[in-house]
Amino acid sequence: MTVSVVDLRKTYARGAVPVPVLHGVTFDVADGEFLSIVGRSGSGKSTLLNLVGGLDTPTGGRIVVGGRDLSRMTRAGLALHRRHTVGIVFQSWNLLASRTAIENVTLALAFGGVRRRDRVPRAAGLLESVGLGHRLTHRPSELSGGESQRVAIARALANDPSMLLADEPTGNLDSGTAAEIVALLRSLNEERGLSVIMVTHDEPAARDTSNRVLRLHDGRIVEELRPERGSG
Amino acid sequence: MTFGDLFYLAVENLWRTKLRSALTTLGVVIGVGMLVSMISFATGVQRNVTEGFKENDLFTSLEVVQKGREATALGAAVGAREDAGPVIDDSVLERVLTVPGIVLAYPEVRFPATVRMGDREARTSIQAVPLAVGQHRPFDTLAHGRFFNDESEAAAIVGERLLSELGLCVKEDVPRTWQGTPPASLRAVPVDSILGRSIEVAVPVIDAQRVVSGMMSGRIPDAPFGEHVTRLTIVAIREGGQGFEPDAIAGGVVVPMGTALRMPRLDLTSVWAALDAARGPTGYPALHARVRNADDLEPARSAIEAMGFSVVALADQLKEFRRSFLIIDALLGAIGVVAIVIAALGIVNTMVTSILERTREIGVMKAVGGGEGDIMRIFFVEAGAIGVIGGAFGVALGWAVTRVGNVVVNHYLRREGLPPADLFDMPVWLVLGAVAFSLVVTLVAGLYPALRAARVDPVAALRHE
Repeated sequence: MTVSVVDLRKTYARGAVPVPVLHGVTFDVADGEFLSIVGRSGSGKSTLLNLVGGLDTPTGGRIVVGGRDLSRMTRAGLALHRRHTVGIVFQSWNLLASRTAIENVTLALAFGGVRRRDRVPRAAGLLESVGLGHRLTHRPSELSGGESQRVAIARALANDPSMLLADEPTGNLDSGTAAEIVALLRSLNEERGLSVIMVTHDEPAARDTSNRVLRLHDGRIVEELRPERGSG
Repeated sequence: MTFGDLFYLAVENLWRTKLRSALTTLGVVIGVGMLVSMISFATGVQRNVTEGFKENDLFTSLEVVQKGREATALGAAVGAREDAGPVIDDSVLERVLTVPGIVLAYPEVRFPATVRMGDREARTSIQAVPLAVGQHRPFDTLAHGRFFNDESEAAAIVGERLLSELGLCVKEDVPRTWQGTPPASLRAVPVDSILGRSIEVAVPVIDAQRVVSGMMSGRIPDAPFGEHVTRLTIVAIREGGQGFEPDAIAGGVVVPMGTALRMPRLDLTSVWAALDAARGPTGYPALHARVRNADDLEPARSAIEAMGFSVVALADQLKEFRRSFLIIDALLGAIGVVAIVIAALGIVNTMVTSILERTREIGVMKAVGGGEGDIMRIFFVEAGAIGVIGGAFGVALGWAVTRVGNVVVNHYLRREGLPPADLFDMPVWLVLGAVAFSLVVTLVAGLYPALRAARVDPVAALRHE
């Protein structure tokens, strides 16, 4: 799935004071590309990802995902975008604590309109594919950070998205586990042909994994790298 | 999301906050319980009155009275007025019988008497009825015994009320009438030992001889009254009645018309009646008539009124009753509705709190593809579940209240020596209606929280701790 971001601007209103976060960001993502966005805290990385994910709406500019312009979508349209087009993974996993691993995945399947009897086999298959076949009925509190993030990835894949958006997916993990998660994202990118946009602090990991790395500073893209991929 | 998913989520969420859900639901239970017991009481009273009317043919009964003497029919004689209409005599009776819809008409023949049975006696009144009444209430449904065979049979039908004044009650009826043991003042005897027994009916007569001899001797006679005694055989026992019988048959002893007309009698139903009698022929005080069915009542009434008589129908009173019922229903219902509104506010409060707590969860649901409609429905179904569960338990509570109320009321009725009654009515429409009403109220209460949940900003929600 291709993404085309043109002159994207976002300004938050903090009280009466407008706080600009993105000042006209323009970039493209090719189909099946693994793009990383790096930058300091407050550079606007997460905001950018939320806009592409349809969780937030831009103040100006355009985001065209798979030929459809998000800035012109209704709230219902954005919900469909989140449901079917993208899968989103967060730093803090955002699993529902009261539900088991498999129930977290079946919830997404329920929103996706998957028939009830198909959900459990499908969720189990997804969890197995991220290496959690033995943890289906554990609750988030019984899972390690890496395991939790795998559940979140399985959930993001539930409704067969064309693109994965990962917001600091390794931010809460130790370096070993972080590497495993990044490797998992990369294998999904390679094996399933999923486009991936990953926002991260971890520049070395970004360079090792991505086709391209964008550096964001104060709401502007200040650098674009095309690393030699495949060494990590 | 299917309804099953929504329901599962709702139950799961309610279960997660058991205590709070239970307390919120309890508010609904109490509200619905209150509403149900109140309406149950209102409909119960209404049912008792209406059934009483129906059972006794009151919807088809009417009374023809002389114009200007209407009040007589209600038992309080006021005497003839100057503008009194034509007198009711046998020719009027015949004309009334030709009115379309009229299936029975007979004159009121009623007089006081003393009834003796064994060593007990009771003051009561004698009511005469023609044989044709046998096909009508209440004589077509006599509890024990049979109706008269002959216009001049020396037979009597006694009421349960009169029996109790004579210190007796029917043993076979004890379980139904008294739910166990009758009051100590009554002796329960088998029905067969009452049927076939003879009673003495004593009516006062003016002893002309004593009056004349008194006058001749120059003394005012101290007791110019004698007594005429008729022996009658009890052929049937009539149920005591709840006070809904037509006036005609409220008397304690019912006898065939021919038998009654053979008995000498003073019309002592009132002083006025006696005075009227002195003025000349007064005819019958009233005619009692029945129409085929309730729809015939109004046309028959108009026809008879056109003949120059007044018509009193007990159905008129039911109309009055119904008007008061409506007011009672509204008042009782209002109390219940207030209780439910308070419960609804409890739901709003609980759900708004719940949304604040679950903001992050809502954000997650939106991030994984939950639409606003989905989120709204989740909270909506949650409110609805509270409504259905609260409604169901509320109906149960209301039912329990009516049972307790019945026990208490019947305890007092018993102490007053009155037969028991079921004061409450719980028709199916009330049960289903209460649950449906509860559901509707809770859905309305859930409307604002559900909308608010649906509009949660996912970005802010995911940042929410």
